[in-house]
Amino acid sequence: MADSCPRCGFAGVSSAKCPQCGVIVATYQSSLDKMRRGPQPRPAASPFARAAAPTATPVATTPGPTAAAPRAAAAAPTSGSRHAFFRGGGGTLFGIHIVNALLILATLGVYYFWAKVRVRSYLWSQTEFEGDRFAYHGTGAELLAGFVKAVAFFFLPATILNTLPRIVHAGPAVSVVARLLVSVLALVFIPLAIVGARRYRLSRTSWRGIRFSLRASTRDFMALWIRGWILTSVTLGLYYPVFVTNQHRFLTSQMWFGSERFGFDGRGRDLLWAWVATIVLFVPTFGLAWFWFAAKRQRYYAAHTRVAGARLRSTVTAGQLAWLTITTWIGLLATLGLAWPWLTVRKVRRTFAWLSVDGPLAVDAITQQAQRVSTTGEGLAGFFDADLGFT
Amino acid sequence: MRLEWEASYLDGRTAARRPASVRITRSGLEILVPATGARMFWPFRELRQTQGAYAGEQIRLEHGGELAEALLITDVRFLAAARAVAPDAAQLHAPARRRVRVSLTMGALMAAVALAVGIYYVVIPAFARVAAARVPVAWEAQLGAAIVDQFAPRADRCEDATRQARIDAIVAQLTGSIRPQPYTFHVTVVNSPIVNAVAAPGGHIIVFRGLLDRTDSAEELAGVLAHEIAHVLHRDVTRAIVQKASTGVLLTALAGDVSGVVAYGVEGARTLGDLQMSRTAESEADREGMGLLQAAGIDSAGMITFFDKIAHGDSGDATVARYLRTHPTTADRVAALRALAAAGPHAERRLVPDAPWTSVRTVCGDLPAPTPPQ
Repeated sequence: MADSCPRCGFAGVSSAKCPQCGVIVATYQSSLDKMRRGPQPRPAASPFARAAAPTATPVATTPGPTAAAPRAAAAAPTSGSRHAFFRGGGGTLFGIHIVNALLILATLGVYYFWAKVRVRSYLWSQTEFEGDRFAYHGTGAELLAGFVKAVAFFFLPATILNTLPRIVHAGPAVSVVARLLVSVLALVFIPLAIVGARRYRLSRTSWRGIRFSLRASTRDFMALWIRGWILTSVTLGLYYPVFVTNQHRFLTSQMWFGSERFGFDGRGRDLLWAWVATIVLFVPTFGLAWFWFAAKRQRYYAAHTRVAGARLRSTVTAGQLAWLTITTWIGLLATLGLAWPWLTVRKVRRTFAWLSVDGPLAVDAITQQAQRVSTTGEGLAGFFDADLGFT
Repeated sequence: MRLEWEASYLDGRTAARRPASVRITRSGLEILVPATGARMFWPFRELRQTQGAYAGEQIRLEHGGELAEALLITDVRFLAAARAVAPDAAQLHAPARRRVRVSLTMGALMAAVALAVGIYYVVIPAFARVAAARVPVAWEAQLGAAIVDQFAPRADRCEDATRQARIDAIVAQLTGSIRPQPYTFHVTVVNSPIVNAVAAPGGHIIVFRGLLDRTDSAEELAGVLAHEIAHVLHRDVTRAIVQKASTGVLLTALAGDVSGVVAYGVEGARTLGDLQMSRTAESEADREGMGLLQAAGIDSAGMITFFDKIAHGDSGDATVARYLRTHPTTADRVAALRALAAAGPHAERRLVPDAPWTSVRTVCGDLPAPTPPQ
C-alpha cells in the first residue's frame, strides 16, 4: 500500500509500521482523526436542520492530493516577494495588558499563564501572511503545567542544592560540589528549555489550519549545545558563530509546516571573519559592531533558509537593527515598561518589513502532520529567560 | 436579514484555502464548498469562535477537535446576522460590545492601579510583619551572616582583639538589662570611610570605620549600637527584606511579559530605595534604644550628642550624606530623644573609665584608610 507516513512524511511506507519513525500508521492515523473530531457531537437539537444538510460528511474522507487538485490547478504558485504583515495595534494590546495585570494581581499571580496565552493569541492572530492569519492554540492550563514541571525538575533541586549546605553547616568541599551540581543542572536544562519551548510553540502555531512542528531529538540538541558551549569557552569565543549557526541549523532544518520541511544550508565558518572583525571593533565602536554582526547574521540565515520552493530574504541593515533595539530599550526604561505594547507592535512590524519570502511558494499540497509535545521546555524557558523574541 | 455570506474554508488536513458560501439557519451554519462539492452542517453548539473579537480581525469559526476545520469570514456584519437569527449563536462575539469593552478596560486600568497601590501600602507591609515575626531566629542568623559576608569581606574587617573586646563589653552591658531574648550579638567593624552603622538580621551589626572615627566617647557609640540593637530585636531588617521580595513579585505582575532590561532597571531603583527603613521604624528604634541605654545605666547624653553632631555637622561631606540618607537625622529626631532622656533616670557612670576613648575607637588603627567611594 506504498503510502506516505502520516507522522514523519516518509514516502515508501509499505507495511503497517513506518520504517523511518517506527509509528504504527493505522494507530497514528486514528489518533489524528480523533484529535480532528474532538468530543463526539451530541444529537442535533433540530432534526429539520439536519435534514436540510443531508451530505453532512466532511470532504476530507477523500485523500488530500485529489481534493487539492482542482484548486492547485486553478492557482498555480506564483513567483514574487511575499511579506507577513502585522495588522494589530498597540492600543488594543495595551488594553489586553491592563486587564491581564488586574487579573494577575487579583488572583495572586495564578492568572499569569492565561494572560500569556491572551497576548500570544492576539499577536499570532494579527499576523497575516498571504491573506491568512496565524493562530495560537496553547492554553493557560498547558503553560501552568509546564511551569509546575519546570519547578519540580529544575528550580526545586537547584534551590535545595544552593541552600542545603548552608543550613546543615556542611564543609566547603560539600558546598563546592553542590555549586558544581547546580551548574551542571543549568547546563543540561538550558538546551532542554530552548528546544522544548521551540517545540511547544511551533506545535501550538498554525497557518491555514496546518500546524507547525519541530521534529528534533532533545538529546542531540543537548549534545550539540554542551559541545558548542565548551568549544566556545576553550577558543575564547572564537567558536561562537559556528556554535550559534549549528543551533540555528538544528532548529530550522528540523522545523516543519505540516508535511513540508524547512531547509537550512548555512555554515558557521561563513560568519567567522565577520565575527573576528566584530571582536576587534567591539570596544572602539562602543559595542555598536555587535549590531553589524547581528544584521549580517540575520541576512545570512534568511538567505540560507528554504521552505516550499521559496527562500527567505532579509534586507536588515546594522543601522536599522541598532536603531530599533536601542530605541526600544530606551522607550521601555523611560516609561518603566508601560510603552511595552506599542514598542512590541513596532518591533514586529519592522521585523516583518525586513523579511520576505521569495520565489514560487507552493503550499496547497501541504498536509496536516501534527505532533504531540510536552510542556516542560516551555516552563523552563521562563526560568532561563530563553524567550524566542516574540514573547 | 442577510443569510448568505462569503467565506473561506480550511479543512484542517491540507493548507489549501477554498472559497465557500455559508447560510445561517436557526440552529447552525450550512456550508457549501464549490471546489470540492462538499456540503456541511455545523450546529452553533459545536462551534468555537477563536478570532474576530478585535477590530480588523477576520472571524474564525472552528469545528471539531484539536486539529479543527475552520471557516473564515471577513465581513464583521456576519456576527450580528447570526446572533439575530439563531438563539444558539449568543456565544459568538458581539461587535456592538466593543465600545463597552473599551470602558471596561478603562475600569480595569483604574482597578489595577488601585489594587497595586493597596497591595503596596497595605497588603505587603502587613504580610511582611506577619512573615518576619515567624522566621526562625536560626534562619535570621544565617541570613545575617551572609549579608555581613557581602557587606564586609574578611579582608576589609578590622580585627583587633583587645579593642573589639571593649566594644563587645558595651553590647553586653546594653543587652544584659533586657528580658531574655534569643539573639547573640556580633559587632563587625569595617575599614571603610562611610559614616554608617547597619543592623543585619539575627543579631549582626556592622559599624563602618567612618562612624567610629566620629565618636568622641564610648557613650556615643553605645547610643548608635542601642539604636541598631533595637532594629534587630524588632526584626526590622528581616521585615524589609520580605517586603522587598514581595514588591519584586508585585512589579513582575504589573510589568507582565516585560523582562530583561526593564526588570533590572526597576530592581536597581528598588534596592537603593529600600535601604531606607520607614520613619516609624526609625523613631521606634530611637525610643527603644534610649530605653536600653537607661536600663543599662548608660549616660544617654552620648546618643543625643552624636546624632546632633551628625545632623548639624558637615553634611556636605559625601560620607556623612550617606548616613543622613539612610537615617533621617532631623532636628525633630534629636528633640524627641532629648524629651525621652529628660523623662528617664540620670546616669553618671562612665562606660569605659580606664582608657581614653580615642585609643579604643582605633580598631582599624594600623590599617591604611581606604579612599572614600564616590
